[in-house]
Amino acid sequence: MTGLLLFALLAQIFEQRGFIENQALFYPQTAPNDSAQAVDQATLRWDASYKIAPWLKVSGALDARADTHRQVDRAARLDLDDRTTQRPALSLRELNATIHKGKLTAEFGRQIIRWGKTDILTPTDRFAPKDYLSSVVDSDFLAVPAARITIAGANDSLDAIWQPWFTPSRIPLLDQRWTALPPASNGVTIVDEGARYPGRGQYGLRWNHIAPRYEYSLSYFDGFNNLPLFNASFDPATATARAQRFYPSMRMYGADAAVPLPWLTLKGEAGYFTSTTPGEQDYVLYVIQVERQVKEWSLVGGYAGEAVTGGAGNPLSFTPDRGFSKSFVGHATLTIDVNRSLTVETAVRSGGSFVRLEYSQAFGEHWRVTPGVAWIRGDMTDFLGQYHRNSYASLAVRYSF
Amino acid sequence: MSRLLAACLVAATFAASYAGQNPRQIMEEVQRRQHSDSQHYEGTLEVIGNGNRIATKRWVFDRIGAFGNSKGMLRFTVPAEVKGVGLLIINHTDRASDQWLWRPNIGREQRIALQDRSTRFFGTDFSFEDLEERDVAQFDYKFLGDEKDTWKLQSTPRKSSQYTYGYLWVKKDNYTVVKVESYNKKGLVRIIDYRDFELTKGIWTARTIEVADVTRNSRTTLKYDKLEYNLPMKDGDFTLDALRRGP
Repeated sequence: MTGLLLFALLAQIFEQRGFIENQALFYPQTAPNDSAQAVDQATLRWDASYKIAPWLKVSGALDARADTHRQVDRAARLDLDDRTTQRPALSLRELNATIHKGKLTAEFGRQIIRWGKTDILTPTDRFAPKDYLSSVVDSDFLAVPAARITIAGANDSLDAIWQPWFTPSRIPLLDQRWTALPPASNGVTIVDEGARYPGRGQYGLRWNHIAPRYEYSLSYFDGFNNLPLFNASFDPATATARAQRFYPSMRMYGADAAVPLPWLTLKGEAGYFTSTTPGEQDYVLYVIQVERQVKEWSLVGGYAGEAVTGGAGNPLSFTPDRGFSKSFVGHATLTIDVNRSLTVETAVRSGGSFVRLEYSQAFGEHWRVTPGVAWIRGDMTDFLGQYHRNSYASLAVRYSF
Repeated sequence: MSRLLAACLVAATFAASYAGQNPRQIMEEVQRRQHSDSQHYEGTLEVIGNGNRIATKRWVFDRIGAFGNSKGMLRFTVPAEVKGVGLLIINHTDRASDQWLWRPNIGREQRIALQDRSTRFFGTDFSFEDLEERDVAQFDYKFLGDEKDTWKLQSTPRKSSQYTYGYLWVKKDNYTVVKVESYNKKGLVRIIDYRDFELTKGIWTARTIEVADVTRNSRTTLKYDKLEYNLPMKDGDFTLDALRRGP
């Protein structure tokens, strides 16, 4: 009886969920550096949280992965910092403690931190590195080790974040299709010389205000871009290029706002970025978007823009956030019924475009099947266009528990 | 003459008494009898389309405060793929509620705009607006007559709403709302039936609510489990930070 009571008590304070997913990707075309036309990847994710006391909760998430394309490391070790070029086979995605007392919430440990209000492109989301290994147009967020203190009142909240240990975005592998190499690189051996990581931490502040007819935030970030620039050297004797990643310093002054109007919701977000690192530009990234629900359609459309204010820039870079700028962006979801939905996402710019279409259907309480296609067009000089050989069809089967 | 006057006075008093059962007084009595400082329940939803059950969902709901000035927090617990999805509802006495949706897989809250409140809530037949709790002062009422053991009233929202008017049936013996029909400019949109009433902590509460979306030939049944009133709750557990923090 005591055991049953204890079990019932524990069940109330222990929460868990997760999924097992298999995703197959089919590419009609090969790429110069990647002949594979079918890639399969499997993920097991388990999230759990335990409320030790009313004011203290511990949460964690584990990922186990396997694939056919060596995007996942085969070494059987538990990864703790997400700095490897390949995805780890077993990684501690999140592990954090949340302390809550009155208006104060403090979170310590590996956690996913999201800022900003706009979709598709979120300029002020500076503590949210991404995993671009499988697709540049459909990426997943990575957690960062950080201390986050939030003081929240009824209408105002202040967020202070300190991240002592840098987590980079995981960029595409050099020998795979999402690294689009110029034609001049044919016959050149490219050697990955690893990365130089920043030696100090980064921090940020965000103040959010909610009013009856609008809400807005002001944010500040001092740290590093989680997307790299490259130092490259070329040895003509051996036709070998060596590339080393490094992460430029970054300061961001950001703002975002949402204003629900009678017929639609207007959202805007902008960040002004400066850097002291040679080769990095100063620039403004901004997004203006409108949202509207029409019956079962959820529609989002807008423009992502960029204005360079200084600096020469480094041509050897991987910058999908800026790559999606100067684009008309759109997102539409149709909820067909409680089990079925259709999603369309697009970015259109002068040199390239992509459209992603997904149909998703749940079967019972646990299963979901999601077939989709992504169509990418454009020319090699454009960020999106350089991936014109990477249009793909996908099929994901997920069991949630 | 004096007898006639007396009879007239009695008739006038009776008429005044009947008029005293004016719709606003009825609804104020409904609200008074439903008053509680907080509410907690675990709800099981069954969505039924074209006669077949197509989905089951469960949520936990907590409310602090009373009509028109309350705050609600709703969190899905089943099915697994929506577990942790939360909705924060801040009701106001003078205007429509503020609502924010939290999806753990996105990691950001999303404000539900006023014009989007007619949207179905996660594929159920409840709209976002149906989940808010409004004070009787936010409606105009008209008494339409007696129907068996109920009063039939018409309600017209004074504030922004997807509905232009609705009909309510209130039981005479215990002042519970047993049925609501909601109309927009095009006609009947939703029918809500309240059933299986039980007395919980002195409050007659429907343990089953069935919402029918007339335009889609779909209905959702919500059954209340573990219903509690007047549990101690904290205001700080009904904020955006609390929505993000989770239970």
